[in-house]
Amino acid sequence: METLKSILYFIVFPGFLFTAIAGILVSWIDRKVTALVQWRVGPPFMQPLYDFVKLLGKETIIPRGSSKFTFLLSPVLSLTSITIVSTMLWHTFIMPSKGFVGDLIVIVYLLVMPSIAIILAGFSSANPLSSIGASREMKLLLSYELPFIISVLVAVINSGNEILMGNILMFQNNNGAIAGSLSGILAFVVAILCMQAKLALVPFDAPEAETEITGGPFIEYSGTPLAIFKLSRWMLLFVLPLFLVGVFWGGFRIEGIDLLWSVLKYVALLVVIILIKNTAPRFRIDQVLKLFWGPITFLAILAVILAYLGV
Amino acid sequence: MNLILLTIAIPLIAGFLIFILPKKFTNITKFLSTISILISFIINIILFINTEKIVNNYFMFDNLSKFILLFIGLFAVFVIIYSLKYIESVTENINMYFSYILFTVSASYGAALANNLILLSVFWGFLGFTLYMLINTNDNATAESSKAFIIIGATDSLMIIGIGILYYITSSLNISSINISLKQGPIFLPTIAFLTFVAAAFAKAGAMPFHTWIPDMSEKAPIPVTAFLPASLDKLLGIYLLARISISVFELNSSMTFILLLFGSITIIAAVFMALVQHDLRKLLSYHAISQVGYMVLGIGTGNPVGIAGGLFHMLNHSIYKSNLFLISGSVKYRTNTMNMDKLGGLAKYMPITFIGAVIASLSISGVPPFNGFVSKWMVYQGLIDMGKAGSKLWILWLVAAMFGSALTLASFMKVIYSVFLGRSEKKWSFGDVNWTMLLPIIFLSILCVGFGVFAFAVPLKLFIIPALGEIGLFGLWNSQMATLLMLVGIALGFLIYLIGNMKNVRESDIFIGGEEIPSNKRVTGTEFYDSIRDISILDKIYKMAEKKYFDLYEMLKKFTFAITNRLRLIHSGKLVAYILWIFFGMAVLFILLNIRG
Repeated sequence: METLKSILYFIVFPGFLFTAIAGILVSWIDRKVTALVQWRVGPPFMQPLYDFVKLLGKETIIPRGSSKFTFLLSPVLSLTSITIVSTMLWHTFIMPSKGFVGDLIVIVYLLVMPSIAIILAGFSSANPLSSIGASREMKLLLSYELPFIISVLVAVINSGNEILMGNILMFQNNNGAIAGSLSGILAFVVAILCMQAKLALVPFDAPEAETEITGGPFIEYSGTPLAIFKLSRWMLLFVLPLFLVGVFWGGFRIEGIDLLWSVLKYVALLVVIILIKNTAPRFRIDQVLKLFWGPITFLAILAVILAYLGV
Repeated sequence: MNLILLTIAIPLIAGFLIFILPKKFTNITKFLSTISILISFIINIILFINTEKIVNNYFMFDNLSKFILLFIGLFAVFVIIYSLKYIESVTENINMYFSYILFTVSASYGAALANNLILLSVFWGFLGFTLYMLINTNDNATAESSKAFIIIGATDSLMIIGIGILYYITSSLNISSINISLKQGPIFLPTIAFLTFVAAAFAKAGAMPFHTWIPDMSEKAPIPVTAFLPASLDKLLGIYLLARISISVFELNSSMTFILLLFGSITIIAAVFMALVQHDLRKLLSYHAISQVGYMVLGIGTGNPVGIAGGLFHMLNHSIYKSNLFLISGSVKYRTNTMNMDKLGGLAKYMPITFIGAVIASLSISGVPPFNGFVSKWMVYQGLIDMGKAGSKLWILWLVAAMFGSALTLASFMKVIYSVFLGRSEKKWSFGDVNWTMLLPIIFLSILCVGFGVFAFAVPLKLFIIPALGEIGLFGLWNSQMATLLMLVGIALGFLIYLIGNMKNVRESDIFIGGEEIPSNKRVTGTEFYDSIRDISILDKIYKMAEKKYFDLYEMLKKFTFAITNRLRLIHSGKLVAYILWIFFGMAVLFILLNIRG
């Protein structure tokens, strides 16, 4: 019975269907705000959905000499892992006292899987450009993972060595958000930068870099597999800011007026992402490495030291 | 008790028989080794199920040693089955090879079961000898095998000093009756004894700074030897010894824990950075065999039940996926006759089963859920976080090293997957997957990788780890069965979308590179993927120093020794008169000294 219920959670709410619809909505916000920044009108509300459905109907082209199985499995892998993370997050938002599937470490690990999917996709395409893109994705992962881990651990330290998402949320309910302290806000800023890289958005979009390697890992994708990839990217844009809200910013509450406040928190993060994306130029991948392993990791370490000092 | 002696004796006797058998009876050799190893494995299973605990003056058979025994047997079975076909392509001394493998198995059983410290050191020393012979199977690896032998032998002699100290302190030689606390009382001698044991365990398992024999030997030794010794058996034994001494023989104080954690973290990070830039598949894998020891040392260094359980479980998991990976590299070499990743590529189409095995093992070693490597790493992390609860401040350093090391591991295995199995090859291959005797171990080990991950709490932890350690007190949450189920549902959902989508219109087409034709020799090899990491100025300097072997304790000591002996050599002029003069001079000095004392 529990199992069936969990599968239902996973497929309908707060899993796949919910996250997919929210993702489509979020991608519309992304495009609309981008358009506003650029003094354009922007697409109509339903445009992302039209795009998705249209891609489903298009012909699928598989590159010759590629590993077909890996090529078709990668988008699905990305979709699956994001859906699981979303289900886990919402489950803890709604019922913090009841754990679901895994703790904070598990979520950090599951959040690596979309990147693995993109890398496998690029490798299996047998295209030099997609291989380069995939290798950049791997280096990008390496670069942000170090400060990302440290910044998430600041939340663990500040909440008294809790690693269950639910306990971190309840700690924040009782003692105020993690980002309320100096160490917390520093870690939060670091995590926001890492999130930008995790989403592979400008200035950290070297893996896709449409103007130099024409989309990198996605260059050979078309039709349905591309539709799945696009959907999973939109879903990630929905899930990752929520993860940060959960870890650093008091969580997402759904009772009464708190709901409005929670949505505002999320939208604020989203707008930050979109604004950075639209106002920054692209870093080269070696610059990204130096940036993340240098100053940003330094900031994260500073946050840890501050956390130990209790501020 | 008799069964214990029997399981040690059977491989030994079979080994002797094969040893004296003429070279040409290869089939008898193969038959005899397979049968003897199967029988001893079955005895191990019977022992595991039926026997509770035996402790006498010579042997100790308890929950910890019995699961080590079981897995030594299991890996021996896999390696011998794999070698049946593979070894023909490597050497002509087939009977020597099999007899040394059997000797190794027998001695490892003995080392895992020994209760008497002298007996332990005898088996331990004998293992060094068989390792030497196995590395040098082809008579082309004298330098490498001597290096391994000297490193292991030297730490072995250190351990004998440690045994002496223990006997001096406790006047007992039985592991089961020694229990020394390093927290109070005189700690100087016990600390030295503990460190000598740690050195022996580190050298065996391949933790830094005694790791350097593994990458060197991996290039020359037959691959099943690498898969058997440094990848699985030596990990089992080394970590077993480390666990034994840090759990029951000694009670660690905080500075000893600190040493373990420090070396564990350095091992993880340094070895994985070396692995990132390798071009040779075997060398890359062997650097990972070093790096992963760090997790086990970290786990045991935490000193709390969940960490120790994680360390032991990681030892088990590592033996599974790493021997799998080495065997896979063996299959690749068997087919393509090269281990240079610049030359490989595109093997996924020709060796599909090997490819799937490689993906599973790579994801396991990188700690991707729901495979087995994830569970044990996750337990080690909890052990580290638990240290923080107990008041330690440095836990975050060890934890970041461990988690970041895991991302680096993933990076280096993505490179392997790309440059060996996906990507484009230099030439067109024309072969299929390998022989079934070579596939069978790979399939089994891959199933174990998945099974031990998905059913971690129901099977391996429940059967092997918890009986050995008692309750482990997990405080994190990982419902692996549910997560796997959801992943499967997710994959099914994905394929449902494929069904909804227009998948009837699937077309194969050439790749698109801005509309240009691309010659087949223009390809991206995976080996240069991480050159931009290498080019970071600090790392560049460290890499250059590592290539000059500045971090290789063995090479440094060798240089030091030669520097001294070159001076001392001058004394040996070859003139008899000079020698006699020296002798008389020495005698005179001795007489004078004795006179003063008397």
